[in-house]
Amino acid sequence: MTIAQQALTVHINGQNVTLDVPEGLMMIDFLHEYLNLTGSRFGCGQGVCRACTVILDNTDGTSEEIRSCITGAHFFNGKKIRTIEGHGKKNDKGEVVAVSPIQQKFLEHYSFQCGYCTPGFVNAATVLIEKLQREPVAKEQVEETITHALDSHLCRCTGYVRYFEAVKDVILTTPGLIK
Amino acid sequence: MIKSTLLAVAGLAAVLLSGCSASDSVASKPAPADQIKRGQYLAQAADCMVCHTAKDGSGAPFAGGYPIHSPFGVIYGTNITPDKEHGIGAWSADDFFTAVTEGITPKHRLFPAMPYASYKSMTREDSDAIYAYLMTKKPVALANKENGLSFPFSFRPGLFFWQSAFLKDQLPDVSSGASAEWQRGRYVTNVLGHCAECHTPRTMAGNLDLSQSYQGNPKLDRIGAPDITPSGLAARGWTTTDLATFFAKGVAPQGSAYGEMYPVVHFSTQHMSGKDISAIATYLMGDTPPAPQPLKTISADAALLKAGQRTYIAVCAGCHGLEGQGKPNVSVAMKGNSTLRDINPQNLIVSTLDGIAEQKFPNNVTMQEMPGFARTLSDLEMSQLVNFLRATWGGQAADVSAEQIKAFRSEKH
Repeated sequence: MTIAQQALTVHINGQNVTLDVPEGLMMIDFLHEYLNLTGSRFGCGQGVCRACTVILDNTDGTSEEIRSCITGAHFFNGKKIRTIEGHGKKNDKGEVVAVSPIQQKFLEHYSFQCGYCTPGFVNAATVLIEKLQREPVAKEQVEETITHALDSHLCRCTGYVRYFEAVKDVILTTPGLIK
Repeated sequence: MIKSTLLAVAGLAAVLLSGCSASDSVASKPAPADQIKRGQYLAQAADCMVCHTAKDGSGAPFAGGYPIHSPFGVIYGTNITPDKEHGIGAWSADDFFTAVTEGITPKHRLFPAMPYASYKSMTREDSDAIYAYLMTKKPVALANKENGLSFPFSFRPGLFFWQSAFLKDQLPDVSSGASAEWQRGRYVTNVLGHCAECHTPRTMAGNLDLSQSYQGNPKLDRIGAPDITPSGLAARGWTTTDLATFFAKGVAPQGSAYGEMYPVVHFSTQHMSGKDISAIATYLMGDTPPAPQPLKTISADAALLKAGQRTYIAVCAGCHGLEGQGKPNVSVAMKGNSTLRDINPQNLIVSTLDGIAEQKFPNNVTMQEMPGFARTLSDLEMSQLVNFLRATWGGQAADVSAEQIKAFRSEKH
Protein backbone atom coordinates (compact mmCIF):
# COMPACT_ATOMS: atom_id res chain seq x y z
CA MET A 1 0.00 0.00 0.00
CA THR A 2 1.28 3.43 -0.92
CA ILE A 3 0.47 6.31 1.34
CA ALA A 4 -0.25 9.41 -0.73
CA GLN A 5 2.24 12.18 -0.07
CA GLN A 6 1.61 15.87 -0.37
CA ALA A 7 4.05 18.77 -0.28
CA LEU A 8 3.92 20.88 2.87
CA THR A 9 5.58 24.22 3.54
CA VAL A 10 5.31 25.70 7.02
CA HIS A 11 7.09 28.60 8.68
CA ILE A 12 8.00 27.19 12.10
CA ASN A 13 9.79 29.16 14.81
CA GLY A 14 11.24 31.58 12.28
CA GLN A 15 12.27 29.07 9.64
CA ASN A 16 10.61 27.73 6.51
CA VAL A 17 10.29 23.96 6.29
CA THR A 18 9.25 22.15 3.10
CA LEU A 19 8.70 18.41 3.01
CA ASP A 20 6.53 15.77 1.36
CA VAL A 21 4.43 14.17 4.07
CA PRO A 22 1.47 11.73 4.13
CA GLU A 23 -1.90 13.32 3.43
CA GLY A 24 -3.57 12.19 6.65
CA LEU A 25 -0.73 13.16 8.99
CA MET A 26 -1.73 15.13 12.08
CA MET A 27 0.40 18.18 12.92
CA ILE A 28 1.73 16.79 16.19
CA ASP A 29 3.09 13.76 14.38
CA PHE A 30 4.71 16.02 11.82
CA LEU A 31 6.40 18.03 14.58
CA HIS A 32 7.56 14.93 16.44
CA GLU A 33 8.47 12.56 13.66
CA TYR A 34 9.70 14.84 10.89
CA LEU A 35 11.17 17.83 12.74
CA ASN A 36 12.12 16.30 16.11
CA LEU A 37 10.20 19.12 17.82
CA THR A 38 8.93 16.98 20.69
CA GLY A 39 8.05 19.79 23.11
CA SER A 40 4.39 19.85 22.05
CA ARG A 41 2.82 17.07 24.08
CA PHE A 42 0.53 14.38 22.84
CA GLY A 43 -1.99 14.04 25.67
CA CYS A 44 -5.55 12.96 25.00
CA GLY A 45 -5.19 12.84 21.22
CA GLN A 46 -8.72 14.16 20.83
CA GLY A 47 -8.42 17.88 21.33
CA VAL A 48 -9.53 18.05 24.95
CA CYS A 49 -6.43 18.52 27.13
CA ARG A 50 -4.64 21.06 24.92
CA ALA A 51 -1.14 19.90 25.87
CA CYS A 52 -0.47 19.82 22.11
CA THR A 53 -1.36 23.49 21.55
CA VAL A 54 0.79 25.44 19.10
CA ILE A 55 0.55 29.12 18.18
CA LEU A 56 -0.71 30.15 14.76
CA ASP A 57 0.46 33.62 13.68
CA ASN A 58 -2.18 35.13 11.45
CA THR A 59 -1.35 37.53 8.65
CA ASP A 60 -3.27 40.33 10.41
CA GLY A 61 -0.80 40.27 13.30
CA THR A 62 -3.03 38.34 15.68
CA SER A 63 -2.11 34.97 17.15
CA GLU A 64 -4.27 32.04 18.15
CA GLU A 65 -4.06 28.60 19.71
CA ILE A 66 -4.43 25.50 17.52
CA ARG A 67 -4.60 21.93 18.79
CA SER A 68 -1.98 20.03 16.82
CA CYS A 69 -3.28 16.55 17.72
CA ILE A 70 -6.56 17.01 15.85
CA THR A 71 -5.40 19.32 13.09
CA GLY A 72 -3.91 17.91 9.92
CA ALA A 73 -0.37 18.97 9.06
CA HIS A 74 -1.52 20.33 5.70
CA PHE A 75 -3.89 22.75 7.41
CA PHE A 76 -0.71 24.71 8.18
CA ASN A 77 0.53 24.78 4.57
CA GLY A 78 1.77 28.30 3.89
CA LYS A 79 1.09 29.36 7.47
CA LYS A 80 3.33 30.59 10.24
CA ILE A 81 3.44 28.86 13.63
CA ARG A 82 5.37 28.83 16.88
CA THR A 83 5.92 25.82 19.09
CA ILE A 84 7.28 25.72 22.65
CA GLU A 85 10.78 25.41 21.17
CA GLY A 86 10.43 28.83 19.55
CA HIS A 87 9.99 31.03 22.62
CA GLY A 88 13.54 31.39 23.93
CA LYS A 89 16.19 33.61 22.39
CA LYS A 90 18.95 31.72 20.65
CA ASN A 91 22.49 32.64 19.70
CA ASP A 92 24.11 32.07 16.33
CA LYS A 93 24.89 28.49 17.27
CA GLY A 94 21.24 27.81 17.95
CA GLU A 95 21.72 27.61 21.71
CA VAL A 96 19.01 29.05 23.97
CA VAL A 97 20.43 32.08 25.76
CA ALA A 98 17.25 33.51 27.29
CA VAL A 99 13.73 32.33 27.97
CA SER A 100 10.64 34.43 27.24
CA PRO A 101 9.17 36.64 30.01
CA ILE A 102 6.33 34.16 30.38
CA GLN A 103 8.68 31.21 30.68
CA GLN A 104 10.68 33.24 33.23
CA LYS A 105 7.59 33.85 35.38
CA PHE A 106 6.66 30.18 35.14
CA LEU A 107 10.14 29.39 36.50
CA GLU A 108 9.87 31.97 39.28
CA HIS A 109 6.48 30.68 40.39
CA TYR A 110 7.60 27.08 39.94
CA SER A 111 4.57 26.52 37.75
CA PHE A 112 5.30 22.87 37.09
CA GLN A 113 4.51 19.58 38.61
CA CYS A 114 5.04 16.81 36.10
CA GLY A 115 5.36 19.46 33.41
CA TYR A 116 3.50 17.55 30.73
CA CYS A 117 0.88 20.23 30.13
CA THR A 118 3.29 23.16 30.51
CA PRO A 119 4.01 23.71 26.78
CA GLY A 120 0.29 24.13 26.16
CA PHE A 121 -0.04 26.55 29.08
CA VAL A 122 2.99 28.59 27.95
CA ASN A 123 1.55 28.86 24.44
CA ALA A 124 -1.90 29.79 25.74
CA ALA A 125 -0.40 32.41 28.06
CA THR A 126 1.66 33.81 25.19
CA VAL A 127 -1.42 34.16 23.00
CA LEU A 128 -3.19 35.87 25.90
CA ILE A 129 -0.36 38.34 26.52
CA GLU A 130 -0.19 39.17 22.81
CA LYS A 131 -3.93 39.79 22.79
CA LEU A 132 -3.61 42.07 25.80
CA GLN A 133 -0.90 44.03 24.00
CA ARG A 134 -3.49 44.79 21.33
CA GLU A 135 -6.50 45.04 23.63
CA PRO A 136 -5.55 45.88 27.25
CA VAL A 137 -8.08 45.14 29.98
CA ALA A 138 -8.99 46.94 33.20
CA LYS A 139 -7.08 45.79 36.27
CA GLU A 140 -10.19 44.40 37.91
CA GLN A 141 -10.78 42.19 34.86
CA VAL A 142 -7.35 40.55 34.93
CA GLU A 143 -8.27 37.47 36.94
CA GLU A 144 -11.42 36.81 34.94
CA THR A 145 -9.46 37.28 31.70
CA ILE A 146 -6.81 34.74 32.75
CA THR A 147 -9.44 32.22 33.85
CA HIS A 148 -11.27 32.57 30.56
CA ALA A 149 -8.10 32.26 28.49
CA LEU A 150 -6.63 29.23 30.27
CA ASP A 151 -9.87 27.53 31.28
CA SER A 152 -9.83 24.88 28.58
CA HIS A 153 -6.29 23.69 29.36
CA LEU A 154 -6.11 20.62 31.59
CA CYS A 155 -3.46 19.85 34.19
CA ARG A 156 -3.79 16.35 35.63
CA CYS A 157 -1.54 17.31 38.56
CA THR A 158 -4.03 20.15 39.26
CA GLY A 159 -1.26 22.75 39.32
CA TYR A 160 -3.57 25.49 38.14
CA VAL A 161 -2.92 27.97 40.94
CA ARG A 162 0.74 28.38 40.12
CA TYR A 163 0.01 28.73 36.43
CA PHE A 164 -2.57 31.35 37.27
CA GLU A 165 -0.23 33.26 39.56
CA ALA A 166 2.59 33.25 37.01
CA VAL A 167 0.38 34.60 34.24
CA LYS A 168 -1.11 37.21 36.56
CA ASP A 169 2.41 38.30 37.52
CA VAL A 170 3.34 38.75 33.85
CA ILE A 171 0.26 40.82 33.17
CA LEU A 172 0.65 43.05 36.20
CA THR A 173 4.36 43.68 35.66
CA THR A 174 4.43 44.15 31.88
CA PRO A 175 3.66 47.71 30.80
CA GLY A 176 0.74 48.21 28.41
CA LEU A 177 -1.37 45.17 29.22
CA ILE A 178 -3.68 46.99 31.63
CA LYS A 179 -5.62 50.11 30.77
CA MET B 1 -92.13 15.01 29.97
CA ILE B 2 -89.44 16.17 27.63
CA LYS B 3 -89.29 19.46 29.52
CA SER B 4 -88.96 17.74 32.87
CA THR B 5 -86.27 15.42 31.54
CA LEU B 6 -84.31 18.39 30.22
CA LEU B 7 -84.64 20.12 33.56
CA ALA B 8 -83.42 16.99 35.33
CA VAL B 9 -80.43 16.69 32.98
CA ALA B 10 -79.67 20.37 33.45
CA GLY B 11 -79.93 19.98 37.20
CA LEU B 12 -77.63 16.95 37.17
CA ALA B 13 -75.15 18.81 34.99
CA ALA B 14 -75.22 21.72 37.40
CA VAL B 15 -74.50 19.39 40.31
CA LEU B 16 -71.68 17.74 38.38
CA LEU B 17 -70.20 21.05 37.35
CA SER B 18 -70.37 22.43 40.87
CA GLY B 19 -68.67 19.25 42.05
CA CYS B 20 -65.78 20.08 39.76
CA SER B 21 -65.34 23.70 40.81
CA ALA B 22 -61.81 24.88 41.36
CA SER B 23 -62.23 25.66 45.03
CA ASP B 24 -63.42 22.16 45.90
CA SER B 25 -60.82 20.11 44.13
CA VAL B 26 -57.58 22.04 44.59
CA ALA B 27 -55.27 19.49 46.16
CA SER B 28 -57.80 18.78 48.88
CA LYS B 29 -56.11 15.53 49.79
CA PRO B 30 -52.72 14.08 48.91
CA ALA B 31 -52.62 12.07 45.70
CA PRO B 32 -51.74 8.39 45.99
CA ALA B 33 -48.02 7.67 45.67
CA ASP B 34 -48.44 5.48 42.62
CA GLN B 35 -50.34 8.25 40.83
CA ILE B 36 -47.56 10.72 41.62
CA LYS B 37 -44.93 8.30 40.41
CA ARG B 38 -46.87 7.73 37.21
CA GLY B 39 -47.28 11.49 36.86
CA GLN B 40 -43.53 11.97 37.07
CA TYR B 41 -43.06 9.40 34.32
CA LEU B 42 -45.71 11.04 32.16
CA ALA B 43 -44.29 14.54 32.74
CA GLN B 44 -40.99 13.21 31.44
CA ALA B 45 -42.65 11.48 28.49
CA ALA B 46 -44.53 14.69 27.71
CA ASP B 47 -41.23 16.60 28.04
CA CYS B 48 -42.70 19.32 30.27
CA MET B 49 -39.36 20.14 31.87
CA VAL B 50 -37.56 21.62 28.86
CA CYS B 51 -39.97 24.44 28.07
CA HIS B 52 -40.96 25.09 31.66
CA THR B 53 -37.40 25.49 33.00
CA ALA B 54 -34.94 28.29 32.19
CA LYS B 55 -32.57 27.43 29.38
CA ASP B 56 -29.98 24.69 29.94
CA GLY B 57 -31.75 23.72 33.14
CA SER B 58 -30.16 26.69 34.90
CA GLY B 59 -33.36 27.76 36.67
CA ALA B 60 -35.54 25.99 39.21
CA PRO B 61 -37.26 23.00 37.57
CA PHE B 62 -40.72 23.85 36.19
CA ALA B 63 -40.41 27.51 37.29
CA GLY B 64 -40.49 28.71 33.68
CA GLY B 65 -38.34 31.10 31.68
CA TYR B 66 -37.37 29.07 28.62
CA PRO B 67 -37.56 31.22 25.48
CA ILE B 68 -39.42 29.74 22.53
CA HIS B 69 -38.69 31.72 19.38
CA SER B 70 -41.66 31.83 17.03
CA PRO B 71 -42.13 33.84 13.84
CA PHE B 72 -44.49 36.01 15.88
CA GLY B 73 -41.98 36.79 18.63
CA VAL B 74 -40.51 35.15 21.71
CA ILE B 75 -42.77 33.27 24.12
CA TYR B 76 -41.51 32.17 27.52
CA GLY B 77 -42.36 28.88 29.16
CA THR B 78 -44.37 29.58 32.30
CA ASN B 79 -44.06 28.70 35.95
CA ILE B 80 -45.91 25.42 36.54
CA THR B 81 -44.78 24.86 40.10
CA PRO B 82 -47.58 24.87 42.74
CA ASP B 83 -46.95 28.53 43.65
CA LYS B 84 -50.40 30.04 44.05
CA GLU B 85 -49.55 33.45 42.63
CA HIS B 86 -47.14 32.76 39.79
CA GLY B 87 -47.57 29.05 39.18
CA ILE B 88 -50.50 26.66 39.00
CA GLY B 89 -51.04 26.22 42.73
CA ALA B 90 -54.53 27.69 42.56
CA TRP B 91 -55.59 25.44 39.71
CA SER B 92 -57.80 22.37 40.08
CA ALA B 93 -57.18 19.14 38.21
CA ASP B 94 -60.00 20.25 35.89
CA ASP B 95 -58.27 23.54 35.24
CA PHE B 96 -55.07 21.69 34.47
CA PHE B 97 -56.82 19.30 32.08
CA THR B 98 -58.49 22.20 30.24
CA ALA B 99 -55.20 24.09 29.97
CA VAL B 100 -53.30 21.07 28.71
CA THR B 101 -55.87 19.81 26.22
CA GLU B 102 -57.61 23.00 25.10
CA GLY B 103 -55.14 25.77 25.82
CA ILE B 104 -57.43 27.66 28.19
CA THR B 105 -56.33 28.44 31.75
CA PRO B 106 -58.44 30.04 34.50
CA LYS B 107 -56.80 33.38 33.53
CA HIS B 108 -56.52 33.36 29.76
CA ARG B 109 -55.99 31.41 26.57
CA LEU B 110 -52.55 29.93 25.96
CA PHE B 111 -50.40 30.62 22.94
CA PRO B 112 -49.89 27.47 20.88
CA ALA B 113 -46.22 27.38 21.87
CA MET B 114 -47.81 25.16 24.51
CA PRO B 115 -48.43 22.04 22.41
CA TYR B 116 -52.09 21.60 23.29
CA ALA B 117 -52.79 20.87 19.62
CA SER B 118 -50.97 17.59 20.34
CA TYR B 119 -51.97 17.18 23.98
CA LYS B 120 -55.65 17.53 22.96
CA SER B 121 -56.04 13.75 23.05
CA MET B 122 -54.31 13.28 26.39
CA THR B 123 -56.40 11.07 28.66
CA ARG B 124 -57.93 12.55 31.75
CA GLU B 125 -56.15 9.90 33.81
CA ASP B 126 -52.75 10.94 32.45
CA SER B 127 -53.49 14.63 32.90
CA ASP B 128 -54.53 14.04 36.51
CA ALA B 129 -51.38 12.06 37.20
CA ILE B 130 -49.15 14.83 35.81
CA TYR B 131 -51.12 17.35 37.85
CA ALA B 132 -50.69 15.25 40.99
CA TYR B 133 -46.94 15.05 40.36
CA LEU B 134 -46.52 18.78 39.71
CA MET B 135 -48.42 19.53 42.92
CA THR B 136 -45.71 17.70 44.88
CA LYS B 137 -43.01 20.03 43.57
CA LYS B 138 -41.71 22.88 45.68
CA PRO B 139 -43.62 26.10 44.90
CA VAL B 140 -41.32 28.69 43.35
CA ALA B 141 -42.43 32.31 43.69
CA LEU B 142 -40.99 33.39 40.37
CA ALA B 143 -43.00 35.73 38.15
CA ASN B 144 -43.54 34.70 34.56
CA LYS B 145 -41.54 36.54 31.95
CA GLU B 146 -43.31 38.97 29.69
CA ASN B 147 -43.63 37.53 26.20
CA GLY B 148 -42.06 39.40 23.30
CA LEU B 149 -45.05 39.29 20.98
CA SER B 150 -46.28 42.24 19.00
CA PHE B 151 -49.94 43.14 18.41
CA PRO B 152 -52.12 41.49 17.14
CA PHE B 153 -50.31 38.26 18.07
CA SER B 154 -50.16 39.29 21.72
CA PHE B 155 -53.96 39.63 21.89
CA ARG B 156 -54.96 36.48 23.75
CA PRO B 157 -58.75 36.64 23.14
CA GLY B 158 -57.92 36.36 19.43
CA LEU B 159 -56.68 32.85 20.17
CA PHE B 160 -60.34 31.80 20.30
CA PHE B 161 -60.39 31.81 16.52
CA TRP B 162 -57.05 30.01 16.25
CA GLN B 163 -58.18 27.33 18.67
CA SER B 164 -61.57 26.94 16.97
CA ALA B 165 -59.94 26.54 13.58
CA PHE B 166 -56.93 24.39 14.29
CA LEU B 167 -57.55 22.09 17.25
CA LYS B 168 -58.21 18.61 15.88
CA ASP B 169 -59.24 15.60 17.87
CA GLN B 170 -56.52 13.49 16.35
CA LEU B 171 -53.41 14.15 14.28
CA PRO B 172 -52.93 12.25 11.04
CA ASP B 173 -50.96 9.02 11.39
CA VAL B 174 -47.36 8.97 10.27
CA SER B 175 -47.43 5.28 9.39
CA SER B 176 -49.83 2.40 9.08
CA GLY B 177 -50.25 -0.25 11.71
CA ALA B 178 -52.71 -1.97 13.98
CA SER B 179 -50.64 -3.78 16.60
CA ALA B 180 -51.03 -2.93 20.27
CA GLU B 181 -47.49 -1.57 20.23
CA TRP B 182 -48.29 0.67 17.29
CA GLN B 183 -51.46 1.91 19.03
CA ARG B 184 -49.51 2.75 22.17
CA GLY B 185 -46.81 4.37 20.01
CA ARG B 186 -49.43 6.56 18.36
CA TYR B 187 -50.42 7.95 21.76
CA VAL B 188 -46.88 8.33 23.09
CA THR B 189 -45.62 9.93 19.86
CA ASN B 190 -48.56 12.07 18.76
CA VAL B 191 -49.85 13.10 22.16
CA LEU B 192 -47.34 12.80 25.01
CA GLY B 193 -44.13 13.23 23.02
CA HIS B 194 -45.81 15.85 20.80
CA CYS B 195 -43.19 14.99 18.18
CA ALA B 196 -45.22 16.53 15.35
CA GLU B 197 -44.87 19.97 16.93
CA CYS B 198 -41.25 20.19 15.81
CA HIS B 199 -41.19 17.72 12.92
CA THR B 200 -44.11 19.22 10.98
CA PRO B 201 -43.88 22.50 9.09
CA ARG B 202 -46.20 25.31 10.13
CA THR B 203 -48.41 27.53 8.02
CA MET B 204 -48.46 31.32 8.06
CA ALA B 205 -51.03 31.11 10.85
CA GLY B 206 -48.62 29.16 13.02
CA ASN B 207 -50.60 25.92 13.02
CA LEU B 208 -49.16 22.55 12.02
CA ASP B 209 -49.46 21.95 8.28
CA LEU B 210 -51.01 18.52 8.67
CA SER B 211 -50.79 17.86 4.93
CA GLN B 212 -47.05 17.52 5.57
CA SER B 213 -47.27 15.81 8.91
CA TYR B 214 -43.87 14.63 10.24
CA GLN B 215 -42.14 15.59 6.99
CA GLY B 216 -39.70 17.83 8.86
CA ASN B 217 -39.49 21.52 9.68
CA PRO B 218 -36.27 23.15 8.47
CA LYS B 219 -37.41 26.45 9.97
CA LEU B 220 -37.61 25.14 13.53
CA ASP B 221 -34.30 26.81 14.39
CA ARG B 222 -30.78 27.07 12.95
CA ILE B 223 -30.84 23.29 13.24
CA GLY B 224 -34.04 22.09 11.59
CA ALA B 225 -36.17 19.09 12.48
CA PRO B 226 -35.69 16.33 9.90
CA ASP B 227 -38.30 14.25 8.09
CA ILE B 228 -39.34 11.40 10.38
CA THR B 229 -41.90 9.70 8.17
CA PRO B 230 -41.16 6.00 7.58
CA SER B 231 -39.87 6.70 4.06
CA GLY B 232 -37.85 9.71 5.23
CA LEU B 233 -36.23 7.70 8.03
CA ALA B 234 -35.55 4.65 5.84
CA ALA B 235 -33.95 6.89 3.20
CA ARG B 236 -31.43 7.94 5.85
CA GLY B 237 -30.75 4.37 6.94
CA TRP B 238 -32.89 4.22 10.07
CA THR B 239 -34.46 1.01 11.33
CA THR B 240 -36.99 0.52 14.13
CA THR B 241 -34.24 -0.96 16.31
CA ASP B 242 -31.80 1.91 15.69
CA LEU B 243 -34.52 4.45 16.43
CA ALA B 244 -35.23 2.77 19.75
CA THR B 245 -31.50 2.85 20.54
CA PHE B 246 -31.42 6.53 19.66
CA PHE B 247 -34.31 7.41 21.98
CA ALA B 248 -32.87 5.37 24.85
CA LYS B 249 -29.22 6.34 24.53
CA GLY B 250 -29.13 9.46 22.37
CA VAL B 251 -26.59 7.81 20.10
CA ALA B 252 -27.15 5.33 17.28
CA PRO B 253 -25.08 4.19 14.28
CA GLN B 254 -26.72 7.06 12.35
CA GLY B 255 -25.45 9.72 14.76
CA SER B 256 -26.22 11.45 18.05
CA ALA B 257 -29.05 13.75 19.12
CA TYR B 258 -28.17 17.43 18.70
CA GLY B 259 -29.95 20.73 18.27
CA GLU B 260 -33.42 20.76 19.80
CA MET B 261 -33.42 16.95 19.93
CA TYR B 262 -30.61 16.84 22.50
CA PRO B 263 -32.71 18.15 25.42
CA VAL B 264 -35.55 15.90 24.26
CA VAL B 265 -33.36 12.84 24.78
CA HIS B 266 -31.76 14.33 27.89
CA PHE B 267 -34.96 15.23 29.75
CA SER B 268 -37.50 12.93 28.14
CA THR B 269 -36.89 9.86 25.99
CA GLN B 270 -33.98 8.37 27.94
CA HIS B 271 -36.27 8.13 30.98
CA MET B 272 -39.02 6.25 29.14
CA SER B 273 -39.64 2.56 29.59
CA GLY B 274 -38.24 0.19 26.98
CA LYS B 275 -41.81 -0.60 26.02
CA ASP B 276 -42.75 3.01 25.31
CA ILE B 277 -39.49 3.67 23.47
CA SER B 278 -40.10 0.64 21.32
CA ALA B 279 -43.68 1.79 20.77
CA ILE B 280 -42.53 5.20 19.47
CA ALA B 281 -40.06 3.55 17.10
CA THR B 282 -42.75 1.15 15.89
CA TYR B 283 -45.23 3.96 15.35
CA LEU B 284 -42.72 6.09 13.41
CA MET B 285 -41.69 3.22 11.15
CA GLY B 286 -45.04 1.39 11.03
CA ASP B 287 -45.95 -2.23 11.68
CA THR B 288 -44.36 -3.10 8.33
CA PRO B 289 -41.35 -0.80 8.21
CA PRO B 290 -39.68 0.06 4.90
CA ALA B 291 -36.20 -1.40 4.46
CA PRO B 292 -33.34 0.99 5.28
CA GLN B 293 -31.86 2.25 2.05
CA PRO B 294 -28.21 1.46 1.32
CA LEU B 295 -25.84 4.34 0.65
CA LYS B 296 -26.05 5.47 -2.95
CA THR B 297 -22.88 5.82 -4.96
CA ILE B 298 -22.56 9.39 -6.11
CA SER B 299 -20.64 10.54 -9.13
CA ALA B 300 -19.07 13.92 -8.62
CA ASP B 301 -16.15 15.97 -9.88
CA ALA B 302 -13.04 14.22 -8.51
CA ALA B 303 -11.06 17.45 -8.16
CA LEU B 304 -13.84 19.07 -6.13
CA LEU B 305 -14.13 16.06 -3.88
CA LYS B 306 -10.36 16.03 -3.43
CA ALA B 307 -10.42 19.65 -2.29
CA GLY B 308 -13.14 18.80 0.20
CA GLN B 309 -11.25 15.75 1.41
CA ARG B 310 -8.17 17.88 2.08
CA THR B 311 -10.22 20.19 4.24
CA TYR B 312 -11.74 17.18 5.98
CA ILE B 313 -8.29 15.80 6.78
CA ALA B 314 -7.09 19.22 7.90
CA VAL B 315 -9.81 20.01 10.41
CA CYS B 316 -12.19 17.03 10.85
CA ALA B 317 -10.31 13.75 10.56
CA GLY B 318 -8.48 14.18 13.86
CA CYS B 319 -11.77 13.41 15.63
CA HIS B 320 -14.06 11.84 13.03
CA GLY B 321 -11.34 9.56 11.61
CA LEU B 322 -9.70 9.41 8.20
CA GLU B 323 -12.34 6.93 7.03
CA GLY B 324 -15.20 8.81 8.68
CA GLN B 325 -15.53 6.07 11.25
CA GLY B 326 -15.82 8.35 14.30
CA LYS B 327 -14.41 7.58 17.76
CA PRO B 328 -16.34 6.28 20.77
CA ASN B 329 -16.95 9.03 23.34
CA VAL B 330 -15.32 11.57 21.05
CA SER B 331 -17.27 11.98 17.83
CA VAL B 332 -19.96 10.34 15.75
CA ALA B 333 -19.23 8.45 12.54
CA MET B 334 -19.61 10.39 9.32
CA LYS B 335 -20.10 7.28 7.23
CA GLY B 336 -23.84 6.69 6.96
CA ASN B 337 -24.59 9.59 9.29
CA SER B 338 -28.23 10.62 9.16
CA THR B 339 -27.36 14.31 8.77
CA LEU B 340 -25.06 13.63 5.83
CA ARG B 341 -27.77 11.46 4.27
CA ASP B 342 -30.38 14.20 4.53
CA ILE B 343 -31.27 15.61 1.12
CA ASN B 344 -31.47 19.00 2.82
CA PRO B 345 -27.89 20.09 3.68
CA GLN B 346 -29.03 22.68 6.25
CA ASN B 347 -28.16 20.80 9.43
CA LEU B 348 -24.78 19.69 8.09
CA ILE B 349 -23.91 23.24 7.08
CA VAL B 350 -25.13 24.84 10.29
CA SER B 351 -23.45 22.34 12.61
CA THR B 352 -20.19 22.75 10.68
CA LEU B 353 -20.45 26.54 10.91
CA ASP B 354 -21.67 26.80 14.50
CA GLY B 355 -20.22 23.67 16.10
CA ILE B 356 -21.98 21.50 18.68
CA ALA B 357 -21.51 21.83 22.43
CA GLU B 358 -20.23 18.87 24.45
CA GLN B 359 -22.94 16.26 24.93
CA LYS B 360 -23.54 13.88 27.80
CA PHE B 361 -25.63 10.80 27.22
CA PRO B 362 -26.77 7.94 29.47
CA ASN B 363 -24.23 5.40 30.77
CA ASN B 364 -21.43 7.99 30.82
CA VAL B 365 -21.31 8.21 27.05
CA THR B 366 -20.12 11.60 25.89
CA MET B 367 -19.51 13.37 22.64
CA GLN B 368 -16.94 16.07 23.05
CA GLU B 369 -17.42 19.63 21.91
CA MET B 370 -17.23 20.11 18.17
CA PRO B 371 -15.78 23.50 17.29
CA GLY B 372 -17.54 25.64 14.72
CA PHE B 373 -15.55 26.41 11.61
CA ALA B 374 -17.27 29.62 10.51
CA ARG B 375 -14.10 31.61 11.09
CA THR B 376 -11.63 28.96 9.93
CA LEU B 377 -13.11 28.02 6.57
CA SER B 378 -14.18 30.21 3.66
CA ASP B 379 -17.53 29.74 1.94
CA LEU B 380 -15.80 27.86 -0.87
CA GLU B 381 -13.83 25.59 1.47
CA MET B 382 -16.95 24.91 3.51
CA SER B 383 -18.99 24.03 0.42
CA GLN B 384 -16.24 21.70 -0.79
CA LEU B 385 -16.12 20.03 2.62
CA VAL B 386 -19.89 19.63 2.82
CA ASN B 387 -20.03 18.25 -0.71
CA PHE B 388 -17.25 15.77 0.05
CA LEU B 389 -19.11 14.58 3.14
CA ARG B 390 -22.47 14.30 1.38
CA ALA B 391 -21.13 12.51 -1.69
CA THR B 392 -18.68 10.21 0.08
CA TRP B 393 -20.56 9.13 3.20
CA GLY B 394 -24.08 10.43 2.71
CA GLY B 395 -25.09 9.24 -0.76
CA GLN B 396 -26.27 12.77 -1.54
CA ALA B 397 -25.45 15.01 -4.47
CA ALA B 398 -22.41 17.26 -4.17
CA ASP B 399 -24.50 20.28 -5.08
CA VAL B 400 -24.05 22.71 -2.19
CA SER B 401 -22.83 26.10 -3.40
CA ALA B 402 -20.64 28.66 -1.66
CA GLU B 403 -23.62 31.04 -1.85
CA GLN B 404 -25.70 28.63 0.23
CA ILE B 405 -22.98 28.55 2.87
CA LYS B 406 -22.85 32.33 2.88
CA ALA B 407 -26.61 32.53 3.37
CA PHE B 408 -26.46 30.22 6.39
CA ARG B 409 -23.68 32.23 8.03
CA SER B 410 -26.00 35.06 8.91
CA GLU B 411 -29.39 33.39 8.80
CA LYS B 412 -31.34 33.20 12.01
CA HIS B 413 -34.67 31.54 12.43
